[in-house]
Order: sequence, then structure tokens, then C-alpha cells
Amino acid sequence: MAQHSRGYMGQFLRVDLTRGAVTTENLPDETILRRYLGGEALAAWFILRELPKTAQALDPDALIAMFTGPLTGTGLTPGGAKICAAFLSPMTGNTLGYSNTAGYWGVELKQAGYDGMVITGASPRPVYLFITEKEVVLRDAAHLWGKGTREAEPLLRSEVGLPDARVAVIGPAGENRVKAGMLLNDYGHSCAHGVGAIFGSKNLKAIVIYGTKRPPVYDRAKLIAAGERWRSVVMKRTPAVKRGVGYGGSWGAVNKSNWRSSVIEPEDTRGFETNRITLRPCFQCNVLAPWAVEVGEGPHKGKLLQFNGGTEVLDAFFNLGIKGNDVLYLWDRINDLGIECAHFSCAAGIAFEAWEKNMLTREQTGGIELKWGSVAAVERLLEMTARREGWLGELLALGPMELAEAIGGDAPKWAVHVKGGVPAMHDWRPLMGDMLRELVASGAMKPQGGGLGKPPPDLAYREKWGPLDPRSPAGWAHSHLVTEQYRHFMGLIGGCWHAQNPDKPDGLKSIVDSLAAATGWDYTMDESLEAGHRAILMRSLFDAQRGWKAEDDWTNVGPRFLEPVPDGKYKGFTIAQYLPGLIQEYYRISGRDDVSGRPLLQTLARLGMEEFAQHSHEQGAAHGA
Amino acid sequence: MAHEPPFPTARLGSGEAKAISYDSSKCIGCRQCVIACQDWNDLPRAGRFSLSATTWITMEPPLPNGTSAIWGRNSCRHCEFPMCAAVCPVEAITKYDEGPVVIDQDLCIGCQYCVHACPWGVISTNRDTGKSQKCTMCADRVAQEQKPFCVQMCPTGALDFGARGQVETAVEARAKEVGGYVHGQREAGGTQVLYVLTQPPKQHGVREVGPEKYPLAKIPLALILKGPFSLSLGIGAKLRAIKSAILHPGRLKYRYWPWRRPE
Repeated sequence: MAQHSRGYMGQFLRVDLTRGAVTTENLPDETILRRYLGGEALAAWFILRELPKTAQALDPDALIAMFTGPLTGTGLTPGGAKICAAFLSPMTGNTLGYSNTAGYWGVELKQAGYDGMVITGASPRPVYLFITEKEVVLRDAAHLWGKGTREAEPLLRSEVGLPDARVAVIGPAGENRVKAGMLLNDYGHSCAHGVGAIFGSKNLKAIVIYGTKRPPVYDRAKLIAAGERWRSVVMKRTPAVKRGVGYGGSWGAVNKSNWRSSVIEPEDTRGFETNRITLRPCFQCNVLAPWAVEVGEGPHKGKLLQFNGGTEVLDAFFNLGIKGNDVLYLWDRINDLGIECAHFSCAAGIAFEAWEKNMLTREQTGGIELKWGSVAAVERLLEMTARREGWLGELLALGPMELAEAIGGDAPKWAVHVKGGVPAMHDWRPLMGDMLRELVASGAMKPQGGGLGKPPPDLAYREKWGPLDPRSPAGWAHSHLVTEQYRHFMGLIGGCWHAQNPDKPDGLKSIVDSLAAATGWDYTMDESLEAGHRAILMRSLFDAQRGWKAEDDWTNVGPRFLEPVPDGKYKGFTIAQYLPGLIQEYYRISGRDDVSGRPLLQTLARLGMEEFAQHSHEQGAAHGA
Repeated sequence: MAHEPPFPTARLGSGEAKAISYDSSKCIGCRQCVIACQDWNDLPRAGRFSLSATTWITMEPPLPNGTSAIWGRNSCRHCEFPMCAAVCPVEAITKYDEGPVVIDQDLCIGCQYCVHACPWGVISTNRDTGKSQKCTMCADRVAQEQKPFCVQMCPTGALDFGARGQVETAVEARAKEVGGYVHGQREAGGTQVLYVLTQPPKQHGVREVGPEKYPLAKIPLALILKGPFSLSLGIGAKLRAIKSAILHPGRLKYRYWPWRRPE
């Protein structure tokens, strides 16, 4: 690799679990790195080139690639904590799964000397991967199998004898190939959307890393200066923020009663005012989004719980009628078992609604009364899901579509899903740009973008739009595309979206300048948007190869997701009235065919992605399961 | 200082006395200061839970962030009367007027007197070089009128830096505000890293140190004898130590007369 490809360690690991072999390879050359940068795009670059088209998500020959970015772990900027995975989604079976996590684990991988990992095969017995600067070994994990993530994380640290080691580990859900199994790291940070199921299918319980290196940086003084600018414009979190209903509070809607209500009530956050909250930032980040809480009242008083920066889990349990500190307690339980909250909640919500409507029997629920707000019932369902226990546990493990079909009757109409995946758990239905983002995403996967009413100040030199009308589709396709580009750019450089504040002057430019200082590349704002655009197109390339078409974005959607907002201040609004026009406009302006969804050849050529021209024209494979 | 101090002194820039402040009530134990210190000083990112030649700051207790209600900090306090410097037989440790107490790696002979003499227990021996290492208060940055890097990178404002008088005023006000007290103002005769603590020092994982200047050194007798009377450390080091003893005989008492009266 070229001497001036700074920001990178220069090597990645190839892990063949079938053979039990680990080898080291150099990163692709600098041209590729500058084009795809890292994170999701570099991971997808490997997946597009190497994943057999016939592979199924949980087959031994399925690949999962996980890559950091050039700003992961430099330590001189906020937000540089991300590692992103790309894989064939176990939830949808035919779309590119991608997932990212922050905390410290991805940073530790770089500190051990590696920018990423490509993992294939399946071990004949449970193992964990132990990575240090000196060696990379697979170790027996039979004694850890069945353990929750909270217990396993310190056990693994103790076992390797390194209190500073960082651990990513799956819980029982991943082991049992629950489609929404997650990989958890650093107490409560999660790589969601099925990564845990893939690890489970490979008998890979955990990856433990310890390293002391730091990425080489092209110009440290410039990086510190750009990092300081960046630090000064982030939106810092406070303990007070953690006493609210989460992100949905910013537009005034949360998920209730399986998406049948969206009204926020004071009871939702009862007891939060008694909690002792400590912000616990990711690696060298001053946003302070992740947090720890010592519960101050009620049956869970005194419990110490640790969470990441997102707030989807609040909605996930509000959706089942849970309130106050019971939500936080169940948040910890779902992390321990390793289940993605949205997938569980959208499925469990159907079960609760079916119980309410006398469409489920005690035999089907395993004797549980599915009363809205029952903590015991939800906790039991979590256990059943993680271990695929009984009729209901098995169906919850598969997902909302499968459960709704099994219940029959009108139940499929109550489902919320996107191509079999699930949206990030917030009630996006009142929001034009956010709904567009969720629908066009690669089977949910917590997509990025969503548009802004007017351009970020740093893009004023090239973007003129707005103020957009939140009740009219005009302009939202373009607005979403631009925001999607700069949000994805963040993931590619190893940066976290929480640390990007586009609303402030220098909120984007300081990040691009940080990349330039770290790598030595004369990266510009325009080039950063192009890099984000490549990541967007890679999903279409992958998905189209496996049978996805643009129309799936508006036809393969859980009906309730497109229903009018049921109540509250947005009552009656739905994006459905603007479909498919809005989605097709989005594909056209992003250089893709508005029927097939495939990137046009001239788009690939413009972005230097000719190597994937063949992918863009191959016939789609049969929809795998 | 009224009389000539028993150690080398120098000036980085303006000579204005500075101080770091640490407010335990704002600290969340994130250890960004620990990593920032390692990054600025190009030290391996190793062992963030215990002080070493490559980890010059620790946050106490040695638990992951978010898991303790009370935090403390251990690192060089940059004493006004640094015993580490007073016991150094080769004058490798300089007290700068601005505040930093700095071990010159080129002059250090690895005798470890300072390691044992430090009342705070914050000096470590580098296993590779055999020399002593600790926080420098980012003397290189202070010379450029910049904050120490740990202070610059603290995400909660628990660390601050400025003219000593202003820092003292600020920590006293803050201590009153949170019902705590200032630690480091009188300890060891006064330091230039002032803490706002809310609990007894022990609960913050911080040592209790009396108000005496140049606290009595606890250098093991075997180590004292080993320096002059063995072949260790090399001839050059012994000659430099003899030269220092001849030029500054008054300094000998700090390392060889441990029963001397406190200053």
C-alpha cells in the first residue's frame, strides 16, 4: 500500500472458520481506498466481489465483512469510533445487510493493527476470535455458549487476562440464529440487523481484541485543528436528554399499541427523574451520546444499566405498552439476549394485538397473557424469542411478516416491515423525508438521510432548495439524496452520525477537512458526497443481483407502515398518497432506473465504479430465504 | 520560593505560574484524557487502568466508564516543592516556573529514587529504557501558550487550565458550589494540579498527603546503597552524581537523610 495512505493500518484479517485459519492481507490499493474510503462501502466492495450469488444468509459460505474507516481511532476528532459490517441480510434474504457499531471495539481492532475483517465459513464447534498485535487465534467457546452478552463480556476479558481488552459478543438470540440477532460490544453498543445471527450460524460467539497502536496520520497538527473545529459544532447530549422519550420527542410522536397510536404521555417517562445518569461517550467523542443509568425507583431500583446513544428501544417497548423504568429494564434484557428491538417489537406488537382481538390462544402463547404493558409477558417473550421456544417464540424469531401470516385473518395488515426488514423503531409516518428514507432502504437497516427542509450551511455553495413543505413531496427526493450522501460519507470514514451536525456552519466541512488531514488526500465536500453516493449505489447493485426491484420499496411493505397517522397532531397524514412517484423520482435523480432500481452505466462511470457494470446488468437471482 | 530550591529550575515562556484543575463532580470517567495524553506524547495506547511509563494518567476506580458514581484522578500533581526533583542525584528533573515538573529522559539514569520519593506514587519506570517517566503537564504545549492536551480533550469540562491564581479562585468557588473541597492546595506544600473533591480522597482513589513541603522520601535503603556502591547505572552516571553532590551539597540531605525534619 502506498506510503501516504495514512489513516489506515494497511491490513485486514481473513478468517476462515471452517478451516480454523486466519491470514493477513493488505488493503486494496490507494485508488480503491480513496474511492470507497472504508466502513460500509469497503465492506460491500468485498461482498460484491466475493459473496457467491447463490449463497443464503446463514450458509457457511456466506461472507461477512467488517471495516473501520480512516478516522476510526485517530483519537483527534469526535465520532471516530465506527466499524461497519456488510453481509447478505438474514431478515430479507435478498438485500445487502449493513450494520455499524461504535463504542471502542472497532477502535481496538485498528489498535491491534487491522482495518477490518472478512469472515467466512462455519466452525464445527463454538469458538471466539482473539486478536492482539502478536497473534490472532480461535479459542474454544463451548463454556460461553448460552450466556447473555452482559455476563459473557467481562468473562471474556477475564479469560484473556486483559482488563483493557474490548469484546463483541452474541447472546442466545444470535446463537439460535434469530433473524434479528445482534452483536453487542462495550456494554450496550450493538451491531444489529442480523449480524448476531450470522455469527451464530458460524459458531462464532465473540471477537476479543487488544491493541496499543494508533493509526498513522498525515498531518497531526492539521487534524487536531480540524478536529477542534468539529468538536465545537457537535450537538452535545446532556443527562436531561436521557430523561425524555427519545428522538421521537423532537417531532412529537412515538410508537404505541403496535403503531395504532403515536401520542406521547407523561406516564411514558415516569420515574426517569429519579435516575442517576452518567454519560459514557464512545472513543474520544465529545457528543456523549451513550449513557449509563442507576435506576432510582421502583422494582428495578439500584440496577446499573448501560446503553448506546440511540433511542429506538424506548419506542420498541412503548409500542408494547411498557412505561418508565420498566422500559430501561427491558432494554437491558434485550441487549443481554442480543435481539434487535425494532424487529422484536414489530412482531410482538402483532402478537399483543392478536391477543387483544382473541386471535391467539394460551397454547399458542405458551400460557402467557399478552396484556399491553405487562413487563413479565414481554420479558418472557424476549426469552422465548432468543431461544426459539414454542410456537410463538419461533415465529417471533422469524419476524413480523412470518408471525402475521401464521396468525392469519387480518393480522398481515397490522404488520410493519420493509421488504421483510424493519424500520428503525420510531414513528416516522408523519415525516416525508424520513419515510422516503425508510422505504428505499435496503430492507430497513437503520438507513441514513431523510432530508432537511433547507440545505446545510456548508452546502450553500451548491445546493439551493427549500424551505420544503412537510406536507408536499416537492423537493424531498433531492433533499433526501443529499442528506443520504453526507450521512453515508460519515460511516465510510469511520465517523458516527451522532457526531455530524449539518445544521451548523462548519458542521460538514470540518469533517471533510479532518479526513484530508488524516489521509493526506485533498478531499473536498463534493468528493465526500460522491463517496456517499457510491455506498448508496452498492446496495442497489447487490440487491438487484438477488431479485430486488424498485417496486418492492412500495409493494413489499407492511400495510400499517403506510396507514395514515392514527392520532395526535399529525393525524391523517400518510406518504402513501405520493407513492410510487416520490420513490421513482428518488431513483431517477440518483442515477438509477426507476423501475429496476439498477444504477445506470453512466452513473457507474461517473463515479468510477465501472468494475461493477456487470453487476448492474446481471439478471436477478431467485429470492432466497 | 524564598531560598534556592534543591533542584534545577527553568522557565518555558512568560514564567507565569499555571495550574490544571480537575473537578470530580464533572468527571464521568471516560478516560479521554488518558488517551489524549498517550496520543500527544506518542505513547502506546496500553493499560488505561494503571499508571505506567506509558500511561501517565489514570481515572479511579479502575472500572469502565459509566459504572461508578464517584471518580478520581491520579497523575503528577506538579508539586511546588517536588520531592522527586530534590532526590534526583543527577538533576534530571526540572521544575519550571510555569508549573511543569519534567524528567529529562536524556539525563535520567534510572536510579528510581524519584519513583519512591513521589508522595503521590505517580512516577513509573520504563521497562525498555529503565528510566523514569510521568506526566509533563505538556510542557511543550505550555511553552507555546497551549493547554495540556488532556485538558483540551476533556469532553465535560472536568479539566481546566490557566493562571494559577484564577484556577484557585475557580476551584474554591466550585468546591463551595458542590459542597466539596479543594485538594492539592496545601498537600505536599502545594501543587499545581488542584482537585475539587466531594468525598474523602480515599473514596476518589486519591492518596492522602500531609501539608509538609518535600514530604519524607521512602527510598528503600537497598536502593540508596545500590546507587553509589554497586556497578549499576554506569560510571558516567556516578560521575554526574558526584559532580552534583560537589556543586550542590545541600541537596544530599533530601535523599540520604530521610530522618531530616520536614521543611
